[in-house]
Amino acid sequence: MGNTEMENQEIQDKQLGEAPADGPEEKPAKVRKAYFKLFGRSYNIAETKVGIAFFLPALILGSLFVIAPMVISLGYAFTDANLLKLNNVHFVGFKQFELLFKDRVVWTAFGNSLEFVVKVVPLQLCASLGLALILNTKIRGNTFFRWAFFVPVMLSLAVTSFLWMNLLNEHDGLINTILEAIGIGRQKFLKDPHQALDVIVFISAWQGAGYQMLIFLSALKNIPGDIYEAATLDGANKVQTFWYITLPSIKETFSFVLVTMLIGAFRLITQPMIMTKGGPINSTMTMSYYIYKQGLEYRDVGFSSAIAFFYTIVMATVALTIRKLLGTDNTK
Amino acid sequence: MEAVKEKAIKKVKKRITVSGVITKILFYLLLAVLCLIFLFPVWWMVVNSLKPQDVIYRDMSSALTFLPTTSPAHWFDSYIQLFSIFSQFGRSIFNSVLYAALSITGVLVLNSLAGYALARFTFPGHNVLVTIIILILIVPVETSLVPQYVILKSLGLLNVRLLGYILPGLISPFNIFMFRSYFLGIPKELEEAAYIDGCGRLRSFFRIIIPCSLPVFATVGIFTFMGSWNEYVFAQLMFAGNPSMMPLQTYLQIINNFQPQDLSLVLASLTLSTIPIAIVYIFCQRWIIEGVAFSGLK
Repeated sequence: MGNTEMENQEIQDKQLGEAPADGPEEKPAKVRKAYFKLFGRSYNIAETKVGIAFFLPALILGSLFVIAPMVISLGYAFTDANLLKLNNVHFVGFKQFELLFKDRVVWTAFGNSLEFVVKVVPLQLCASLGLALILNTKIRGNTFFRWAFFVPVMLSLAVTSFLWMNLLNEHDGLINTILEAIGIGRQKFLKDPHQALDVIVFISAWQGAGYQMLIFLSALKNIPGDIYEAATLDGANKVQTFWYITLPSIKETFSFVLVTMLIGAFRLITQPMIMTKGGPINSTMTMSYYIYKQGLEYRDVGFSSAIAFFYTIVMATVALTIRKLLGTDNTK
Repeated sequence: MEAVKEKAIKKVKKRITVSGVITKILFYLLLAVLCLIFLFPVWWMVVNSLKPQDVIYRDMSSALTFLPTTSPAHWFDSYIQLFSIFSQFGRSIFNSVLYAALSITGVLVLNSLAGYALARFTFPGHNVLVTIIILILIVPVETSLVPQYVILKSLGLLNVRLLGYILPGLISPFNIFMFRSYFLGIPKELEEAAYIDGCGRLRSFFRIIIPCSLPVFATVGIFTFMGSWNEYVFAQLMFAGNPSMMPLQTYLQIINNFQPQDLSLVLASLTLSTIPIAIVYIFCQRWIIEGVAFSGLK
């Protein structure tokens, strides 16, 4: 810290030294004089100008590509908008939502997304926290193990998907070759409607766990060691210290990881898009993927927006409930 | 006293028992198995990218499948073939680098300026903006792709695919928020001294604020790079019919789905596309952990 302060001082000194070179067009004396009032609050004119000028580019792009999509999607949910006929859009009231409740694939996709969330979140959470707990002890080869568990994180979702697709190939993939050699027999994996989603659960947890492990590990490192010593002296066993010391100490991190993991899991799309195209028999069709398919492949923007609207409410409810239950607000 | 206690505890811990040894063996066995699960697919990918396809399949039924061939001179044949058979492959690497560079520049400039505006200047709408940003951060919204595509279409940006691909990803409430939090921690006096000496706002931002906040710039830059390099779905949407503009991640699909598939080339392309990210992780791990901790705990 002291170091940066020194650097700051130096920079400041430099600025002081160079000040005359800035020329006469800057008039510092005027900077905090003029004010105007709006809605009972007074604002400094110069500050307002600069503030808006700095924010404007972000405001324009953000309105176009962050805010507008939300608003547009909300609006389209009540219309019959088609991607090819966007000039000819009619208000249809709740018709899209009626269709939504009748559409079987929506409910299959919804079920799949929920199933994915319910399976992958606990699996990945336990794996990452477990690995972090292991690595937080003084074991030999700590650095090696940390890198080993982290390696899959370096693969992109696309690379992970293509790699596992080939590993799990039902004819000549490595996994099936091994399974056959040890007598279990070939599996269809991604081609089997009963296995495909579980395979995606495993692959996702495999790819992502190392990342959260790192987050947990840095939180665990921040817990002062003497708390544990005190607990050990008081006769607490390992399970007790975990429940009463470790978990409460990393509560903030735990909640952050849980919520980001949940939202990420709700949004699953890349893996099924690459590996299964939602099949076989829609067994890996997820909500995000179905919204994408309806809107961009079947071009039914209205219906796609209605599904997105419905799904947003579900996701937001779950995420906000969990935040509330854990009693943490990560954005303040 | 403390030191004595510590020693006493250590002595208790160090007593060797049979059950202790067994636990230790089981523990390391578990670690080894876990390690195997996490490592073998990646190891296999790299090793087999160094073999021609017939050797990959010949070795698969034995332990040889996890070892490279004994002729290092031919290890990189598949990599050379990759570039000659798929003539656009080199181009796709260039595209990925180009898109990442444009994204990083745009993201850093626009979001840091916006974050600075929210951190330092009070202007009408200031509080509304901060509230909107926090709301977007808290409430997950599942909308992005379809309406974004609709907007790009109505703006005519589907004809200028490069802009259409880059622009939607530039502004992120999360990044603005991150910059703002960081700038709030920098003492105001630093810039005020500069204003008094006649240094303009923009100038003082570049000369004073940026040098003070390199960590947050590094973190946002790294995350932007990884996001851009790994992007698949949006790239697929924008460039599906246009291989010459595809970034690496979507081009992988062309190599993987090419009939007849050459597994050796597929694995080589997968390995190659992972190398830049691996380098970033290896050299920037510190920034990544700091960034994660910063975003998670603030």
